[in-house]
Amino acid sequence: MRSKAILSRLALGWLVYGLGSLARSQAGGAVDGTDEDIRLTLSPRVCTLALNDKQCETQVHASWQAAHEESLCLVILDRPNVKRCWEHYSQGTYSIELVFTEDVVFQLKDLDLQRVMASEVLRVIREAIRYRHRRREPWNIFD
Amino acid sequence: MSVRSADDSCTGPSGACVAEGRWNFSVALGAGVRTNPLVGGEDIPLVLVPHVSYYGKRFFLDDLDLGFTLADNDANTLSLIASPGYDRVYFYRTDLQNFFLTGYTAAGAPSYLYAKTAPAGAEVSAKVTPRPRRITYLAGPEWTFKYEEITAQLDLLHEITGEDHGNEIRAAVGLPILKSKGTLSANVGITWNDAAIVNYYYGEPAIYRGGASLDPFAKLAYTRALSSKWRFDAFTEYERLGSAIASSPIVDKHSVTTVFLGAVYAF
Repeated sequence: MRSKAILSRLALGWLVYGLGSLARSQAGGAVDGTDEDIRLTLSPRVCTLALNDKQCETQVHASWQAAHEESLCLVILDRPNVKRCWEHYSQGTYSIELVFTEDVVFQLKDLDLQRVMASEVLRVIREAIRYRHRRREPWNIFD
Repeated sequence: MSVRSADDSCTGPSGACVAEGRWNFSVALGAGVRTNPLVGGEDIPLVLVPHVSYYGKRFFLDDLDLGFTLADNDANTLSLIASPGYDRVYFYRTDLQNFFLTGYTAAGAPSYLYAKTAPAGAEVSAKVTPRPRRITYLAGPEWTFKYEEITAQLDLLHEITGEDHGNEIRAAVGLPILKSKGTLSANVGITWNDAAIVNYYYGEPAIYRGGASLDPFAKLAYTRALSSKWRFDAFTEYERLGSAIASSPIVDKHSVTTVFLGAVYAF
């Protein structure tokens, strides 16, 4: 009887541990900021800068789809002036003309802008540009 | 030999760093002038001033200067450079340095020069037949070093085009003295020319022969970015001519002053 009780407690312990792990992994997913039911896509996804290009200038088309109706906002990280929200929609699109030199992060968030529900990155790829120090010439009138 | 050190911070475009393998063009538009110290010499206007540069991995071109960088890191840059003799600009408006100083000008070489026949300040002068001052190039090492915000530079140059075989030392220290939306910076330095260079430009056979000349200068410059392409530039520079130059009979000013106010467009 005693050994059965111990086995039962171990089984219960593993069950509790397993459920706890599952709960933690779900919570971790939310913290990571993605909801697999919502899909965000960008077009284009990559901007390639040639040697003589200083910045990307392009129209970016963002679209999202969800399995169920959602209320959410599309925002761009570090660009607080960009925000487009939908209430009770299962899909949406948004286009914006952007000028950028670094990666641009698009995020779908809840209406309170607290929880990240989906995220995509528009990446900047530079041609392999090497930089060196510019010569200084104090005698030059424009240096 | 490695051109870069591990602490090299040039990872992107900035005021201190440029992309390798790329031509850089800019033009300054504005109003300014550089005074001409020669007797009867016309001041040099600054209206449209182009600038071109190219930096390879080691080779560089900076207007009319050529260079080969032996070592480059955040604190030190050592290059071998070739640079035109500067003083010719006062004698020939068509000197290429004037193109990069003032833009195109149709004026040619002077048909004569005036020489003082009385001490400086007296309104007496006489014509002397000009002799040619050819384009010269000087070459030698250039060491630029940086300590915090201070940048210093030392050039030890020797004339390599066989005209005067002279030596020249250029040394300067610069630092930003105010940084806000724009940058106000100060440069002070000296140009030292030996007697060979001084006499090539300012000597007059049988009339005047000078010695070496030490010319100190100070420059105050303000620059402010207006957009990614445009910036506002203003500066004033004062160079005191050494007595060996200022005492020449074809020179009647003891200094050269340059001022400019305008905008620079980078293509």
